[in-house]
Amino acid sequence: MPDFIEQLRRRLGELGCPRMQVRRLVQEVADHHEDLKQAALSEGLSEANAEAHANAQLGDPVALAEHLMVMLLRSSWWGRHSLIAFCLLPLLAVPVLWTLFLMLGLSLEFALGFGWDWKKLHVATDNPVAFHHLVLALHGADYVAIALVTLLFCWLARRSGVSLKWMVIACAICSLYASFVYARIWPHNFEVGITWTPQWIEAAIPLLIAGAIYAFRRRMMQRFQEKVAVKPPAPLREEWNLCRHPIANAKARLWTETGGL
Amino acid sequence: MKKTNPSFLNGVPELLVLRLLSRREMYGYQIVEEIRTQTGETLSFGEGCIYPYLHYLEAEKQVSSQRREVEGRNRNYYKLTARGRKRLEALTTEWKRVTTGVSLLMEEQNA
Repeated sequence: MPDFIEQLRRRLGELGCPRMQVRRLVQEVADHHEDLKQAALSEGLSEANAEAHANAQLGDPVALAEHLMVMLLRSSWWGRHSLIAFCLLPLLAVPVLWTLFLMLGLSLEFALGFGWDWKKLHVATDNPVAFHHLVLALHGADYVAIALVTLLFCWLARRSGVSLKWMVIACAICSLYASFVYARIWPHNFEVGITWTPQWIEAAIPLLIAGAIYAFRRRMMQRFQEKVAVKPPAPLREEWNLCRHPIANAKARLWTETGGL
Repeated sequence: MKKTNPSFLNGVPELLVLRLLSRREMYGYQIVEEIRTQTGETLSFGEGCIYPYLHYLEAEKQVSSQRREVEGRNRNYYKLTARGRKRLEALTTEWKRVTTGVSLLMEEQNA
């Protein structure tokens, strides 16, 4: 059983299945394997034959892992509508979060610096120190909103088990948005618009976050693979090599092989 | 027995699982065995394929799960929720409507 379960665990990890889901699925399949084995033992099979019988009943762990991932993707809205979720929603989330943080920053500054006195605020833009604080609030909201939206969509991608591609796309969209949408402030003037001169610092934030998450996931995957290092049995090697698009293959096979069951 | 189930059975697993869970709480292995025995081995779930299906139903809030120790074994027991019960009623009605229609047509052809 360890081989079967470790192969299942490894393949689920490779497919980007969230760790909590991996733990739960592996636990349940291990329980199921044990039930099959016990049933075989009660029918008079030897320990080794019962083990082999349970393995045969459960089938190929690689194919099983792929079926499990397909069902996991189907079960979440993020998995079913990845295009809307990771291409369109970031474009809406950034301005919403930016506005919220800007309002929060300005409210804090208004409350702490001017004691909610509108007369003081009116002359604040002529005061270099107070104006500097306004500029800080504006850029702070910009950076924080971009960073938080990027982190949020990376987390959602990880949680829903979608491929790394969607996480990278969401980060790229955040980066493009940050490059070309700007907000500037002058004394008694405020401007939001689109510029064709890229804002490199803002654009770099999502890319840096994506890079850090990618490196972290790669490192975790290497550790995970070292931990559960197993050689696939000979009949499976060919399938491992062929699995360049495992989810697409599994989707096509899922209902035809099991006939919907 | 056929190795695979025909494609027109898509949607039947949901009905079968919900129906079995409406009687009592069950764990994955039990559900697979019950489907096999109660359908006279006409239908069968691929071993292990039941779990993503159960997780899907759980995500849809049609079933809930709880890990419990019974007779020295820890297992995830699944039970039907109120939403699952409503879904079962809807699926049962739909199933009866479809089978009645298909039966009428088949009987007419045989007559």
